[in-house]
Amino acid sequence: MVIKHKNIFTTESPWSNSDKVLLCLDTGSWRTERPVLDIAKCNYCGLCSLYCPPQCMKDMGDHYEVNLAYCKGCGICATECPRKAIMMVPEGEFSHGNS
Amino acid sequence: MVEATKKRNRVFDYFCQDDPFAGGVAWCAGCPLELTARFTAKVLGKNMVLVGTPGCAAPVLHGQNVGAWHKQAYMASVMTGVPSKATGLSRYFNRTGQDATVVCFTGDGCATDVGFQPLSGAAERQEKFIYLAYDNEGYMNTGNQRSSATPLGAATTTTPVGKVRRGKPNAAKNMPIIMLMHRPRYMATATLSHLEDFAKKLQKAQAMCKEGFVYLHVFSPCPVGWRVDSNMSIEVCRTAVRTNYFPLWEAEDGKPRLTVEVSSPKPVTEFTKLMRKFSHLKEDGIAELQKQVDERYALLKSLVDAANNYNLIKQGNTKEVD
Amino acid sequence: MATAKKGQVRVITGNAVGAYGAMVCRPEVIAAYPITPQSEIAEQLAQFKADGTIDAEYVEVEGENSAMNVVLGASAAGARVFTATSSYGLVFMYDALQEASGFRAPIIMVNANRETPGIHAVSSGQQDMISARDTGWVQIIVENDQEILDQIIMAYRLAEDNDILLPVMVNYDGFYLSYLAEAVEIPQIEDVDAFLSPVKKQPPRQRLIPGLPIGYGTHGIEMGYVEARYKHCQALERVKNKVDEIDKAFGEYFGRSYGGQIEEYRMDDADIAIVASGSAAGTAKTVVDDKRKEGVKVGLIKLRLFRPFPAEKLVKALKGKKAVGVIDRALCFGWKYGPICTELKALTADFGPMPVLSYIDGLANLDITIPHIGRVIDEVGAAARGKPYQDVTWIPME
Repeated sequence: MVIKHKNIFTTESPWSNSDKVLLCLDTGSWRTERPVLDIAKCNYCGLCSLYCPPQCMKDMGDHYEVNLAYCKGCGICATECPRKAIMMVPEGEFSHGNS
Repeated sequence: MVEATKKRNRVFDYFCQDDPFAGGVAWCAGCPLELTARFTAKVLGKNMVLVGTPGCAAPVLHGQNVGAWHKQAYMASVMTGVPSKATGLSRYFNRTGQDATVVCFTGDGCATDVGFQPLSGAAERQEKFIYLAYDNEGYMNTGNQRSSATPLGAATTTTPVGKVRRGKPNAAKNMPIIMLMHRPRYMATATLSHLEDFAKKLQKAQAMCKEGFVYLHVFSPCPVGWRVDSNMSIEVCRTAVRTNYFPLWEAEDGKPRLTVEVSSPKPVTEFTKLMRKFSHLKEDGIAELQKQVDERYALLKSLVDAANNYNLIKQGNTKEVD
Repeated sequence: MATAKKGQVRVITGNAVGAYGAMVCRPEVIAAYPITPQSEIAEQLAQFKADGTIDAEYVEVEGENSAMNVVLGASAAGARVFTATSSYGLVFMYDALQEASGFRAPIIMVNANRETPGIHAVSSGQQDMISARDTGWVQIIVENDQEILDQIIMAYRLAEDNDILLPVMVNYDGFYLSYLAEAVEIPQIEDVDAFLSPVKKQPPRQRLIPGLPIGYGTHGIEMGYVEARYKHCQALERVKNKVDEIDKAFGEYFGRSYGGQIEEYRMDDADIAIVASGSAAGTAKTVVDDKRKEGVKVGLIKLRLFRPFPAEKLVKALKGKKAVGVIDRALCFGWKYGPICTELKALTADFGPMPVLSYIDGLANLDITIPHIGRVIDEVGAAARGKPYQDVTWIPME
C-alpha cells in the first residue's frame, strides 16, 4: 500500500492544540439585524457587554461598540440596555461596504 | 452622552482572564449557554480544565482534528463518563500538586438522565471538582427531545401536542434538591440574568472544590427549542427567578440559603407567556404548573428554615423547633 | 548482565496476585468495582491502601463504567493506572473501553474471565473477553497465578511504550485461577522499577496540563478520523514483536519466560497440534506428555496473545503439521466454530491445507478434563490420518 496521506495529527492519539489552530466561524454573516448605538443616551454602564452571549462588545473607553465580525444580531443588548440606547436595525439598511 | 456611571459595573471585577473562546462559535444567536461558557471561563481562569460531552456545549468545547474553538485544556467524553473522568483528572492533578479547576460542563440531559449515576457517585465520594449543569430542560442539541428536567406539560419533539397526548405528562426531577441530598461541599443554582450572583457562586465554587464536591445548576433557556425570541433570553431567566420557577440559592454542606429573595413572586403565566412551549396549556395545565412551582418553593423554604434552625441550635440559641 | 534478586514467595490466590501485581508496579490511580469472581482484588487493593503499602489514589467507584472512566481521566493527565473487572462489569464499561483504546491510553486491566451476557451465569468461561475483542485493546491470556503477576509487569512495559500506547487486558480464568492459591514469587519493587525503567525514561507522553490549550479526545473529522484509526491499527501490529521482545527481556531479568505471543510446547517434531489458552493449557501440557509416552507426536500451542491475533506465529508453528484441534472456552455467535478456531481458520490458506477441528468445552465452570483433552488429541490424530471427523464438537453436549 502506498500512503499518500499527509498526517494531520503529529501525535499518535487525537489531541488538539489551539495554539496551532484556533478555529473561528464567520458568525457575523448570520445576522439579519445589527445593534446601533445612540451615543447621546449611553452612560457606559457595560450591561450590553456583560449580557452579550458572544461577548463581542468592544470597550471604547466611554461607550461600547459592537464587533460586527461576530455579532449574531440576537438583540439582547438592545433589550437589556437600561437607557434604551441601542436599536436593532435590519441589515438591509446597510449597503455593501457600509458598516 | 448621558453622564457616565461613576464606577464600572461590579461584575467586570470578577473576571480574571480575557475570553478564551474564539470570536465566532456555533451557538445559536441569543443562546444563554454561550454566555454561560464564556462567563465561566472568564471568572474561573486559565487553569480551568473542561470535561465536555455531547450536547449543546460539545460542538464548541471539543476540538475538530488539531483545531479547537478555545484555549482551555479539555477532555471529551461520552455522557456516561463525564464525572468519572473528572475524578481521575482531579485526583491526579491534586496528587501531583498541579493547580487546576476541573469543571464538568454538561447539559441537563447528561446530568439528570444518562450521566446521573456517575454524578451521584462522584458527589457521594466528595470528589474535588465542579460539576456545572446548564439546564435548558431537554436534549436541545439533537433537536429538542424531552429529558427528565423537562417541566410538566412542556411540548418537545418526544412529548409533542396531539389529540391523545398534550406535552410532557409528568413533572421534572427536582435536580437541585436531589443534589442537595448528597450534601456536596458547595452547590448553587444560578442564571444569566443575575450575573453578579453567578460570579460570586463561581468564585465560591472554585475555592470550595478544593475541599469537596461542587454542583452548579445553571438555568439556561433555549430560545430555539422553547420558541423564545432571541433577544428575550435574559428576560426569560429574570422572569424565572421572579416567578419562583427557578429560585436562586446556594448550600454549603447541605444547608441551603436563598441568595435572591423574591418578596412578591409573579404568577407563572408571566414566565410561560414568554415562550411557545407551553402555549397549548389550558387553565388546568397552567394551574398544575403553578401548583408545582409553589410546592417546590415551599419545600425549598422549609429546607432553608430547617438549616437556619439547625445553625441557631448549634450556636446555642434555644429557638424552639417544632 | 543484571538480574533481579529473589522475590518473596507467598501462597496466594489468583485474585490476590492481581493486587500484588498492581502493587509492585506502583500505579498512581486505581479504581475498581467488585464483581464475582474478582472482588478480592478490589478488597486486597483497598487493604494495601489502608495499610499504606501502596501510595496510589484508590477510588471506590459506584460502577465499572466509572472505574474505566476514572483511570482513563487519570491516564490522560499522565498517571500510571490500574483496574480490574469481569463479565458484566467488562460489558458495562464497553463505551469507556472504546474511548480508552481510541484515545490511546496505556491502561492496564485484569479481567477474571467469566461467562457473560445472554443468560445469567456466575461461572468460568472466556465469553467476556470474546465480547470485548473488537474494542481495540491488547488482550493476553495467562495460564497460572505466577503468570498473572509476571504478565501485569510486562503489560506496563508494553502499554506505556511510546511506540505502542495501547490499553492492555490481562485475562485469567475466573474461579479456576481467581480462587486458586499457588506459590507465587513476588519480585522486589526495586527490581520491577528497574524492569519498567525503559518506559519511564522515554520522553513523557502527551498529557493534559492545566493552563495549556491542549485537548484530548478531539472530534475526528473525515481524514483526521481515518488517520487516528490507521495509527491505532498500526500500533496493534507493532504489539506482536514487542510482546516477544518484552518476554525475552523478562526472562533474562527475572528468570521466567512464557514464549511471547504463543508458547510452543513440544511442537518441533509434532505431527498434529492442539491449541488451547488459559488454565486449560496447563492441563493440556500434562495430556500432551501422556500422549507422547504412548507415541503420539502431538504438540500444544498455548495462545497467549489474543489481540492482536498472532497470525504470523501461528502460521509458522502450524505449517507442515497434519491436523489441528482448537479448544475454545467461549462461543462465536453466528459461526459454528469457537471464536479462536474461527479466527485460526481464516489463516488456513497460509498454513494449510489441513483439517481444523473445533472443540467447545469448559463453559459455566464445567471442567476441561484430562479425558476431554485426550479425546481431542485422538480425534485430531484420526483426522490427520484421513478418517472422517466432526468440524465442531460441543463436548459437554455429547
